[in-house]
Amino acid sequence: MLSRVAESLFWMSRYVERAENTARFLEVNFNLLLDLNDITEIDHPNYWSPLIRVTGDPANFTERYAEYNAHTVTDYLVFNRQNSFSINSSIGLARENARSIIDSISSEMWEQVNNLYHFLQSVTPQQVHNDPFSFYREIKNASHLFQGITDNIFSRTEEWDFIQIGKYLERADNTARLIDVKYHMLMPKEGREHDPVLDSFDTIQWMAVLKSCSALEAFRKVYLSKIDPENILWFLVLDRTFPRSIAFSVCAAQEALWRISGSSRHRYANNADRLIGKMEAELSYTSVEDMYRKGLHYYLEEIEIGLNRIGEQIHLLYFAYHTPKIEPHDIAEALPFTGLAGGRANWSQSQQQQQ
Amino acid sequence: MISLFERYDACPNRFFDEVLAPDGKPRGHYDKMVHRFGQFSLDDIRTRRQIVNIFFRNQGITFTVYGVEEGIERIFPFDLIPRIIPSHEWANIEKGLIQRITALNEFLADIYSNQKILKDRVLPAELVLGSKHFRREFVGIKPPLGVYIHVTGSDIIRDADGHYLVLEDNLRTPSGVSYMLQNRQALKRAFPVLFDRYKVRPIDNYPQELLRTLQEISPTSRPEPNVVLLTPGIYNSAYFEHSFLARQMGVELCEGRDLVVNNNKVYTRTTRGLQRVDVIYRRVDDDYLDPLVFRPDSKLGVAGLINAYRKGNVALANAIGTGVADDKVIYSFVPKIIRYYLGEEPILDNVDTWLASNPKDLKYILENLEKLVVKAANESGGYGMLVGPESTLEERERFAEKIVANPRNYIAQPTISLSRHPSFFNDSDLGGCHIDLRPYVLYGKSPTIVPGGLTRVALKRGSLVVNSSQGGGSKDTWVIDE
Repeated sequence: MLSRVAESLFWMSRYVERAENTARFLEVNFNLLLDLNDITEIDHPNYWSPLIRVTGDPANFTERYAEYNAHTVTDYLVFNRQNSFSINSSIGLARENARSIIDSISSEMWEQVNNLYHFLQSVTPQQVHNDPFSFYREIKNASHLFQGITDNIFSRTEEWDFIQIGKYLERADNTARLIDVKYHMLMPKEGREHDPVLDSFDTIQWMAVLKSCSALEAFRKVYLSKIDPENILWFLVLDRTFPRSIAFSVCAAQEALWRISGSSRHRYANNADRLIGKMEAELSYTSVEDMYRKGLHYYLEEIEIGLNRIGEQIHLLYFAYHTPKIEPHDIAEALPFTGLAGGRANWSQSQQQQQ
Repeated sequence: MISLFERYDACPNRFFDEVLAPDGKPRGHYDKMVHRFGQFSLDDIRTRRQIVNIFFRNQGITFTVYGVEEGIERIFPFDLIPRIIPSHEWANIEKGLIQRITALNEFLADIYSNQKILKDRVLPAELVLGSKHFRREFVGIKPPLGVYIHVTGSDIIRDADGHYLVLEDNLRTPSGVSYMLQNRQALKRAFPVLFDRYKVRPIDNYPQELLRTLQEISPTSRPEPNVVLLTPGIYNSAYFEHSFLARQMGVELCEGRDLVVNNNKVYTRTTRGLQRVDVIYRRVDDDYLDPLVFRPDSKLGVAGLINAYRKGNVALANAIGTGVADDKVIYSFVPKIIRYYLGEEPILDNVDTWLASNPKDLKYILENLEKLVVKAANESGGYGMLVGPESTLEERERFAEKIVANPRNYIAQPTISLSRHPSFFNDSDLGGCHIDLRPYVLYGKSPTIVPGGLTRVALKRGSLVVNSSQGGGSKDTWVIDE
């Protein structure tokens, strides 16, 4: 398979997953605010600024908006094309990647990404504000439909594996970020008085965290109604059966990487396999205690950094173009060597007139 | 006469109508089709129209219009009434095109080697050697099998008397063949009954024929030559076609950055390392192919590709420098070229052409601008032309200045009233629209033509320009066995 095709498959899948996760963050926040309506004021910046922290770049946000509230944060995370994490940007990029490999994916997959793109173009901010739940459900469903179509009709080839890697690395990263934002809540609190109001307030927030991973019901099956921070952490980070947990996602990505390289347990073929194997092993033998001991924020940050490294290695290994060694006689024969052409094909150049 | 066609005015005094004879009756080969269409109600037509639109949209069959800030994607308009060419007319077109392409290939082989035709003074040397698309660097390099133009799409029109004339030879990277194939699929889906009384010759084997042609020109002796299709990328107006053909042939669709040259051999960069390439069907213009040889700012090409080509390690289809033979100035010499190389009379005629570089012609052109169509010698796609009868005085004056400033770059032809074909302006209104025909000639070991081609139709009322960038559409094109 062409490296470029592998890269586009990876990013197409990754961007669709990213859009879904952004939709989840926003949907849950709205849910949460409805629950808290009695207790506090819903447009309070404290409820909106964490969303910007999850998705990356608060400085980029404050440059463009005066304050954090439902309107500005929704606008930034859904519509703003300057924000590369917005749903609009993600789907736009997913579509562009899909378009560039339209001959390698099934037409149903392309149609689904294309439909989602056109749906987004047709939605106005006012519509989202009036009925956020329908909108976010639409995005989530569209993402599920895309992965479902892929699941059902795409051959289990190397192409498929790159799609899986993109999806699960993005998901693991998002789950880590989501917990990270709420980590101050999930840390054991020492010396605080038992306060029924604050406790119920916390419970609602924890439930929101679970809901944003669609994990509440799955969690309840395991822990019944015992919603406490340790169980939640264990479930979202270490559980091996829930498909949005970090451990599950890392494990799924690892399997796909192994299928591509032919690695197996104890035998890694390359650096990407080594790093993901290490992370997977650590997740297997970590306890919630360990996380607390390390500091939850620090622990999650390490996972995020680790995932980034794995991404870099995949890039170097499969996508980056190995520049071949240039033999001296080539240079003597050719005109002056100005380096290899690379990068995105230039927009204006690709518009040659067609006969 | 039959309902849908009742209100249709063929204007037999002014135009050659493809469907109706001057007496108002359908021509023999259209008889059954006119009859069929007579049985459809307007509702039927609307339903079929929708089937076709959905087919095209779902397939993503769009093209990009340039000139606006961001490319706009449009569906290429498709007209429901097929164009029918009877087999005896087709036989003549086929013979004429093969003669023409054979001669043009000889011409290219000659001017890129001994230049005998120039020494014999059949053509003015300055016109050939001074052509923008003449590639001095390739004199003395012989491509595999001696073939330069592996895929061509000549534009053929019919004048007011119904004579077939060649308007242009597109010898560089002609596009549109995917529409030829998809139009047939769309029409089959919308109007299966239309086909049941005609023996329509199939065209679906075009991708296989193309692949066979490309494999035939492999310069290496590897048993399964690796063919790739090189595209400028997703922003190119013909990107859909590139991906379509790659998929149909089962070859890899590459951008310049997917290819790398090492030790004068071309490779694709894959997840499993480098893989050797034997043949490149390139849909990238010469100028952008290799930044080391042509435009140094090109990001679409492959550094070192040309050296690999010179060494004979990779074949390019079409070869480099073929544009010199479809220069609109050289075009006017094609009848001479045919006589010179083949010793035959041309089977298909040219359109009369005046060269602005010739002082007598220039005078005529400037005096008759309002009657002529003036074209830039090296533009394509309907860009850089003046249609005299449709222009304003101011436009003509501005164009005249351009012609005088650079006469070598302009030619003029009489405004030919292209033949017309009834087409739907909308779902209820049948009108006569001007059409042309672009058959595709493949040339590996020998030239072959898939029976049919792309019929482009000027769907803007009264317009003579059929290019997709200028609001044209297309029709399914049938060559029938009677």
